[in-house]
Amino acid sequence: MENDYFSIEAILAENQKVQCTFKHEIPNMGHLGGGTDRDIAVLSKIQIPMWLAYIIIYSDWADFNIPTPFGLKVRNALKAEATSVRLSNLVGSGGLWYGFGKMIMDMLSEDQAGEMSEMMTKAFKARVVELVDQAQHFAAIGAGGSGGSSGDVAQSFREGLDSTEREIFSLAQASAKRMKAWYDESDKARQ
Amino acid sequence: MALPVPLRDSVTPHELEMIASQQLIEIVPLIAMERTAFISGAYGPLRPPSKAKIPLWMAVNLKLKKKCHIIPPQWLSVEHLQDRLAQEVANPDAFSDLPFRFTEISKVLLDVASDDLENPDQIRTLLKDLREARQAKSREGLRHLDHSELGLTGLTSMEINEIRPFFVQSMSLLTKLARNTEATT
Repeated sequence: MENDYFSIEAILAENQKVQCTFKHEIPNMGHLGGGTDRDIAVLSKIQIPMWLAYIIIYSDWADFNIPTPFGLKVRNALKAEATSVRLSNLVGSGGLWYGFGKMIMDMLSEDQAGEMSEMMTKAFKARVVELVDQAQHFAAIGAGGSGGSSGDVAQSFREGLDSTEREIFSLAQASAKRMKAWYDESDKARQ
Repeated sequence: MALPVPLRDSVTPHELEMIASQQLIEIVPLIAMERTAFISGAYGPLRPPSKAKIPLWMAVNLKLKKKCHIIPPQWLSVEHLQDRLAQEVANPDAFSDLPFRFTEISKVLLDVASDDLENPDQIRTLLKDLREARQAKSREGLRHLDHSELGLTGLTSMEINEIRPFFVQSMSLLTKLARNTEATT
């Protein structure tokens, strides 16, 4: 996604803001903070979107902390029970948790990046099995997804999906539906 | 015209059925036919009551017009399938050895020629059990998904087609997530 210049998902994921601490004073750039200051003072904390933050950090004008969607609380929740974490709430509407995480990962030092990569990979692997199960179950019920029948836990899992996970869900559901339709048609048309 | 997203990586079950229907199957014809040339090759002559080998699509056609009896392939019998099911259950890590297109062929034959098969209901049940057992195994394989490879030997054509779209998507997501650790080492 990082090298995918044309990918809409990458662009949306980059729009997330991160908290940065500026190391130098920057004249005339106060509007970035949304306030009325004319300049950015040293050591002031401002939230700027990723696509801007990338260059600023690379050129060493600011430092940043790992934003909340990847902070310790989320990490621990994922370690405890990956399937119950609602990823879509953590990153605004649309939810591109994995894409955002990947971008941050690219900017961090090697150890931290390795940790993040492992956290995301483990979380994904745990969630994907539940995802596919639900998708195949829903192929039988119908495209609308009534939700009420399978219980609240399943429904809240589906609502908490990141948007890349949603794509996988719809792929699995479509293929299961096709298979079912093919199997069912066998008993009618031929005879 | 663009394909809908789920179809970009896989084919429909109907297409697989058509491909599978090109396999040859034995029949006992009830009519006589000279050696006829078709696009895929020349078949016949059909001289009842001796057996002949023709493609499945042709056999289905003749059967629907009640002009032949189909002889089921060797693996489509109760004992054979029970054997395979036992193998499947005994080996939780491996898939048993079934013909590559057994799902499609068995469905077509059960539809059209159930009177030519012995015990069609039991065969249906056995096939269903086999399918479920194998599906459970591929779910297990999903748990061990890696970004670089995953070995699931012995899957048949319909099963591969079923799981391909989301397996490939998941693996590509994992590749994106894992790339950093490899790039910096």
